Amino acid sequence: MFESVEEVQHRFRAARYIASRRISTVVFLAARMGRPVLIEGPAGVGKTELAKTLSDVTSRGLIRLQCYEGLDEGKALYEWKYAKQLLYTQLLRERIGELIADAPSLPEAVSRIAGQDDAFFSYRFLSPRPLLQAIRADDPVVLLVDEIDKAEPEFEAFLLEVLSDFQVSIPELGTVKAKHVPLVVLTSNNARELSDGLKRRCLHLFIDFPNPTDELEIIRLKVPEIPEKLAHAVVAAVQKIRGLELRKPPSVSESIDWARSLVILNARELDPTLVESTLTMLVKYEKDIERVKGALDKVLAETK
Amino acid sequence: MEERILEFIGDLRRAELRISTSEALDALSASAEVGLTDRETFKSTLAATLVKESRDLETFDRIFNLYFLDLEALGEGLKKALGPEDPKVQDQLDQVLDQENMDLDELTELLMRGQGSEMEMAIRGGAQGAGLERLMYFLQVGYFSRRISDQFDWSAIERDIEKIMQALEAKGLDPGQLARIRNYLELRLEAFRRMIRQHVQRELERRAYRAGEQLTREVLSDKPLFALTPDEVAQMKSVVAKLARRIKDALALRQRQEQKGRIDSRKTIRKSLQYGGIPMEVYLKRRHREKPRLITVCDVSDSVRNASRFMLQLVWSLQECFSRVRSYVFVSEIAEVTQGFNNFPVERAIEWALKGAPVDYHCRSDFGYAFSRFANTELDSLDKKTTILMLGDARNNYNDPQAWALRLIRERVKGIIWLNPEGQWGWGIGDSVMPLYAPACDIVRECRTIGQLGEVVDNLVHSWWRRGR
Repeated sequence: MFESVEEVQHRFRAARYIASRRISTVVFLAARMGRPVLIEGPAGVGKTELAKTLSDVTSRGLIRLQCYEGLDEGKALYEWKYAKQLLYTQLLRERIGELIADAPSLPEAVSRIAGQDDAFFSYRFLSPRPLLQAIRADDPVVLLVDEIDKAEPEFEAFLLEVLSDFQVSIPELGTVKAKHVPLVVLTSNNARELSDGLKRRCLHLFIDFPNPTDELEIIRLKVPEIPEKLAHAVVAAVQKIRGLELRKPPSVSESIDWARSLVILNARELDPTLVESTLTMLVKYEKDIERVKGALDKVLAETK
Repeated sequence: MEERILEFIGDLRRAELRISTSEALDALSASAEVGLTDRETFKSTLAATLVKESRDLETFDRIFNLYFLDLEALGEGLKKALGPEDPKVQDQLDQVLDQENMDLDELTELLMRGQGSEMEMAIRGGAQGAGLERLMYFLQVGYFSRRISDQFDWSAIERDIEKIMQALEAKGLDPGQLARIRNYLELRLEAFRRMIRQHVQRELERRAYRAGEQLTREVLSDKPLFALTPDEVAQMKSVVAKLARRIKDALALRQRQEQKGRIDSRKTIRKSLQYGGIPMEVYLKRRHREKPRLITVCDVSDSVRNASRFMLQLVWSLQECFSRVRSYVFVSEIAEVTQGFNNFPVERAIEWALKGAPVDYHCRSDFGYAFSRFANTELDSLDKKTTILMLGDARNNYNDPQAWALRLIRERVKGIIWLNPEGQWGWGIGDSVMPLYAPACDIVRECRTIGQLGEVVDNLVHSWWRRGR
């Protein structure tokens, strides 16, 4: 898939994603070793985006499993379409009646019905959920398990089982083995500790806020119409604001939004009034906004 | 190289990173995939396979930099140590070596042509037999440097140098040039000796780092709290934070595991209607469990202030594990400090509670008075869901112990746990009134070290969870 770490870097760049050396190395290893990648980091630094770009770059389909509290196997793996099965048995009542009409005994009738198991427990009545989809896919895919920390630990254990041999056993149908090993990306916001087993199984990648050079490049790439001087000013200001001990420091996606809105407002440089009026794009909590406003001189000191 | 990686993993483990065998295998096969050409890539590879907690990354970085030296940077350093390179001399040397086809010692060869990195590798080779694992103190550096240099055949090198000089002389170089070449060679030799010494020093640094790190952690957890220096108090904060995190994680797991209980018949029957009264899906009742309420009451007189500090930090870091936490401090007057914790971050709130709360910090502790005041004013706000965590040495300065107040309080709450930062041997001796208070408490524990404190709080959190079903 990739020949070298450099190739990863170039192709991600071409897909408009600035991947640091570290990120490209991990992606390269994941592709080579067929290992899942567990990405941790603050919200909005491009964790999910990485998976999307990966699917772009490798031209594989993306299957996404969004985790939440209460997510279980039924919603992640597969579910029998009970209602449909029930409906079919109702409709076919007569046929079933015929089938067992001349059965001499009850056990005989039961075993005749049992002989028809296949009709009702087949893929026709199975609705595959993201995990099974990823495993049964005819073409190789990228599987994104988003915000795994939101799901319960039991689900994690179950996921681990799926990820370790990429096969699923459905009692009625037998074992389904993956035709292609999917590229798996898991993301976590660190709401809780993940289990050791899962961590052991995965390559670990921690994405932090980018350094100024990378961030500048990201902004240039995502907001190409931005004037050079403004881009520098935006990056300098955002980096300063992150140092202010806010409840939620602005992430990359927020600084992109901010840059975009500044461009729409036709700004050439940052001045205090402009920053104050657009600050909500960048900082989302009332208390944080107050803080930034209080430190505005410091924030804008080096942006001129 | 594999051995180097395994040794490095050993170092990480000693620095208390948890690395399993399968992860070590991953690291080996992954580094085989990317190769060693790019240091940054190699580092990312090891980090991705070995470090699974972002908080361990810092430790990883430090150990990595000590272990896998930046050979290029080292080569640069060496060049500087040698002074400006003398390309002319090097040319002449190369020529003579090519023409004469001399049989030289490997090491001489290295000295003649080698780069810093190759020299470093040679030193590592030499160091293997030198028993560096016994290196622990700065004073040993000289000894081990000598041991490593003994591995090299210096006389052979000197013989080789003489041979080269003779060959050059035979070629008819003038004495000035010869002196310059000799000087150049000797400088290289000297630099090599220096590199050996530097290697040993770095090794020492690596060892000292991991030994030191471990030592402080172990010693701190077992050190009596009253004996901590200000520096140690600062370090201890991070130890307590780690402890809190561990307790919390374990709890989160257990909480989830215990959530499923008996069949919820109402919900199951309702759902079964969809399937004509057949209970196709079974629903379980979620256990409703109440989190304990906690009141901490801390003696903040000088003698036990440290213990109070850490207990407050631990309890407030575990806030989520309790439905409500309230805190009181006293010396003889007692005051509630909960509002501080609601308004400030934990650190600042503790400083405030220990220094700025409305109690007189300089009088002598009087437990009896504090308890009677507490019983008078707060008794109505207590209930059977509340547990009181008391921290104090029960040294009452011969005041009236007023144990009745504590008994009164006990009747209103679920339990009282008393942590005493003084050793058990001292209870009841002198002005200690611990034996008078003990009957009113459910649990009385000695709590002299952070380890003991952690145990008590851990037990509290877990057993209360289990009992509260």
